[in-house]
Amino acid sequence: MLEYKSLSKTYPDGTEALRNVSFEVEDGEFLIIIGLSGSGKSTLLRCTNRLIDPSGGSILWDGTDIAALGPKELRPIRRKIGMVFQHFNLVKRMSVLNNVLAGRLGYVGNSSSFLYRFPKEDQEKAHRALKRVGLTEQTWKRASELSGGQQQRVGIARALMQEPRVILADEPVASLDPVLAHTILGYLEQLNREDGITVICSLHYLDLVQRYATRVIGLRDGEVVYRGTGEDIRRMTDQEFKEIYGEEAERVSAGPVDLPAGGEA
Amino acid sequence: MSRIAPKIMKESLLSPPLAGFLSLIVPGLGQILTGFWQRGFLIMVSAASMAGILQWRIADLGRRAGTGWPAFLRALHRRPMFVSIVIFCLLAIWILSARDAWIGARDRRKRFSGIFLFVLLGFFIQGWNIAEIDPVKLVTQAPEALPPLSKIMWPWKAAVTYDEDNLVGKAIILDVPEGDETSPPPRPPEVEGEPYLRVDPNIGRMSARDENNEIVPGTRITLTGSNFAPETETEIWWKDALGNVFRPREAGKYLFVTTDSKGSFKVELTMPYQLMPPSAEKKAYEHIIEARQVFKVGPPMASEALRLTMARMVETIFMGMMATIFGIIMAIPVSFLAARNIMSGSKITMAVYYLTRTILNIIRSIEPLIWALIAVVWVGLGPFAGIVALTLHSIAALGKLYSEAIESIDPGPIEAIEATGATRLQVILFGVIPQMISPFISFSIYRWDINVRMSTVIGLVGGGGIGFLLVQYIRLLDYRSAGIAVWFIAVTVAILDYTSAEIRNRML
Repeated sequence: MLEYKSLSKTYPDGTEALRNVSFEVEDGEFLIIIGLSGSGKSTLLRCTNRLIDPSGGSILWDGTDIAALGPKELRPIRRKIGMVFQHFNLVKRMSVLNNVLAGRLGYVGNSSSFLYRFPKEDQEKAHRALKRVGLTEQTWKRASELSGGQQQRVGIARALMQEPRVILADEPVASLDPVLAHTILGYLEQLNREDGITVICSLHYLDLVQRYATRVIGLRDGEVVYRGTGEDIRRMTDQEFKEIYGEEAERVSAGPVDLPAGGEA
Repeated sequence: MSRIAPKIMKESLLSPPLAGFLSLIVPGLGQILTGFWQRGFLIMVSAASMAGILQWRIADLGRRAGTGWPAFLRALHRRPMFVSIVIFCLLAIWILSARDAWIGARDRRKRFSGIFLFVLLGFFIQGWNIAEIDPVKLVTQAPEALPPLSKIMWPWKAAVTYDEDNLVGKAIILDVPEGDETSPPPRPPEVEGEPYLRVDPNIGRMSARDENNEIVPGTRITLTGSNFAPETETEIWWKDALGNVFRPREAGKYLFVTTDSKGSFKVELTMPYQLMPPSAEKKAYEHIIEARQVFKVGPPMASEALRLTMARMVETIFMGMMATIFGIIMAIPVSFLAARNIMSGSKITMAVYYLTRTILNIIRSIEPLIWALIAVVWVGLGPFAGIVALTLHSIAALGKLYSEAIESIDPGPIEAIEATGATRLQVILFGVIPQMISPFISFSIYRWDINVRMSTVIGLVGGGGIGFLLVQYIRLLDYRSAGIAVWFIAVTVAILDYTSAEIRNRML
């Protein structure tokens, strides 16, 4: 179980990205974070694996405070937390296989990675991960030769290589077209259901939220303004919607909600 | 849409006639005072410098006639077109500037006026005169350029040599002073199968000068050769008593004969002129006459010019390579200091960044040829000086290119690799290096290409390599050998250019 306790982050320029954020994530949940751009979603995700150091509060993971870890202790924690990015963040000039193998870096020593070599079992694991996301054919291609959807699947395979207990997904479908969005979220859901991996994902499209989330958190200006389940989104009142997206925002439809006005800048 | 900036619509300080009058006194003054200060300043500076240059040229052209009016007349006489056109332009600028100031003060909208056309024309004509441009020379002096040019274009005659074999027949002749009664020397016996040269008479007197420095021709002699190779050019050589060997001339031309079908010839000549030292004893001197036939034997061999050129070409390529390697090694650390994204941490690192950038820019703005001149003073003539010069320039150029590659690195993959729990070293190995390797290699190959090209000219100032050889050959007027060097440079540069472009295309 992950417990965020009054987590806050203030950037050196004075921006308060997170204020006193507290919530819990049970193991095996598919938690989706919604909110406008700049509401603190990315900061929250990056605090979880300490790509960003929080300025206050704690993140307890089965009793360990991630926020307080030193660099040495951070490594074993980080490798258990996979991450998927909006812009995929693959190393474009490396092969697909090597990109996937990079997911094992938290497990192998410096000396072997010097030669860009990985143990045999890691290589087999990488092939299995690629098979799982349906990219066996692309194994030896350069990452840059793949389409957006394929690149994101490589990103998922890379996260999978970490044998993670948690996957953080920072707007994983924002750079993809709507059809691909379902494919990618489908893979994440599969990992969530079959492997019991906890998924914490930030999203923009409310119809996707209601389809995939087991729980939802709404952020606005770094504060939690909404808590609910995927089912709750369907019944979200205008009042709640405006609390997340601001007074000027308008819901496009009453039922499953599309992109809110002013959602993605 | 006629939006005019309020600044321009502002009322003029001067009345139009006054503005025009002021510009008539000092071109541009009226414009400056009516608010078109940039325009006025430009007119003022142009007119002043044009007048100044004209004065200098007139003083230079007319210096023989003294100064002032006579000098002007002489200059006008020598270069009528130049002097009159520039004066015309100056007058046009002067008058148009007054008109421009008048109109400008009346109506403040910008408009076209012909002033700057005349500024341009005036400077063009002055440039023509100062730079001594003379296109006619391109045609009239072309014939002089043709022989060396054709030798450079097709120099391969000088690229091969052969071993030589000689067929020589010798005869002895005595040079006797007047009144000397020495008897002719005995003739050597004719040997079967050996070439034989006979001189008649075998005693006589060399050509000399009398008290009035007039040539007194020597004895006419006849050379008869037999047993030589048939139908072959045969050179006549003279070896005097002092041991000087030379080819005697008849009517100003080197003497040679062609043997007949039996290998015999007959030729007449006057005994050549010889200046004897005054201390020389007056007695009979023995001279040797040779008839030589030279044959090329064996396979063609690379000439000295070709061998030297090849050796220097190899030296040149390696100079370029070594300079590139040293440049790369030193540019890599420098490039990190010159990358904004790496150095933006604190004020101190930013200061280092600006300092590094400035130094790199200064080094880069100085041509490698100038660096080579400095390096020659520093480490002496030779390829090492060239390498020092090219290395300096390479560090600066590569440092800039590398630092730009570092600046354009995508932070996304680095973040992703960090998130896997990778160590700092692993982040560099997997997140940073793969992103930089291709621009690094591509820039480095490009630099090697440039360095080899530069090292061909750096020899001109003593920095070693093929340029060193080329400039020697040109100064010795040995255009064929120079041509060989030029060919080697052209071919090598073309090959390198193609290869490096090809490799870079594959990389990207």
